[in-house]
Amino acid sequence: MTGRRRFGNTLGHIVLPRLTALAAAAAVLVAAPAAAHETLHEVARGKAIAVRAYHADGEALAHAACEVYSPADPGVPHQQGRTDRNGWVAFVPDVPGTWRVKIIDEDGHGLDVGIDAGGPAGAPAAPAAGGMSSAAFVLRPLAGLAVIGAVFAALILAYRRKRTAP
Amino acid sequence: MHIPDGFVSPQISLPAYAVAAPLWAWAARRHFGRAAAESLPVIGSLTALAFVIQTIMIPVPGGTSTHLVGVMVLALLFHPLVAFVCESLVLLVQALFFGAGGITVLGLNALAMGLAGPLAGWLVWRLLRRFSEKVALFLAGWVATQAATLSVAGALGLQHRLDASYFPMPLAVTLAAMMVPSLTVAGLVEGLYTFFALSLVRKANLRGVAA
Repeated sequence: MTGRRRFGNTLGHIVLPRLTALAAAAAVLVAAPAAAHETLHEVARGKAIAVRAYHADGEALAHAACEVYSPADPGVPHQQGRTDRNGWVAFVPDVPGTWRVKIIDEDGHGLDVGIDAGGPAGAPAAPAAGGMSSAAFVLRPLAGLAVIGAVFAALILAYRRKRTAP
Repeated sequence: MHIPDGFVSPQISLPAYAVAAPLWAWAARRHFGRAAAESLPVIGSLTALAFVIQTIMIPVPGGTSTHLVGVMVLALLFHPLVAFVCESLVLLVQALFFGAGGITVLGLNALAMGLAGPLAGWLVWRLLRRFSEKVALFLAGWVATQAATLSVAGALGLQHRLDASYFPMPLAVTLAAMMVPSLTVAGLVEGLYTFFALSLVRKANLRGVAA
């Protein structure tokens, strides 16, 4: 009787904890590769930079091919894909500096711009830019017309002066 | 239609400049010298008009848009090289003020839109005007658009073959995307613009324009 109790105690105090530990270890070992196939996600708001490509008439470059190049490795695209239906592409910069965003439409339209993602030592990035005010929208064609007019006016004046010169 | 900066490599943009630069110099000496002083107000006005109509986007069925070039009139009234110089000026202004096209691709865009197009249209007009002046004018505008579009698509297709990192679309994709709007909408509108604008300028009997 005493011997059986001693055997039972031995089972309870020595073997069971070891079996439990073994089962736990096995569970961890099995769980580790299983976890490796699990896809997790993280939401970080306000970390991405979004760029929108659109024509002068407001039409978006929808579903256009795009490439984003990091300043750390300008030769290999950091990101490749397509713009969304509104012409937007977003990326999360992991190094500061000027990131190159290239958006290429099938018909040859597109853009190739440098986007400031903040300076070294955590300096803040430049504020959003690229949008156009309604005044600028009207003034730019006028400025272009003025330049063309000035070029031809200068030529005409130069020839008139030469003609009237003694 | 403009090729933006960064879409073609120096392998294409530098030879394009090498071809365009002497043509600019030759055209400037030949067509913008003192002898052309009387024509300059008309040339300047038509250049400004071309600049304006290139900013007007024409919607194309399928969700995209296109625009006219508008320098064919200059090629027909004066010479294709006049159109080449004027379109180059328009492209320069667009690159500086609009970010359309670009400085590195100015030579290439000028050769495609300012020379290949107007030269092809001018040849068609010379060939067909004895049969019907009206049809010849319309077809000159239509052909000029197709030639310019083909040149731009060809340059982009060549770039894809040389180095796809600059332009990832193969020629077949670019050609289809560019030629469909060009053949169906842009060419027709350019043809009509060329016909009406030229008829109007001729009727106005302006100084410096040959009757």
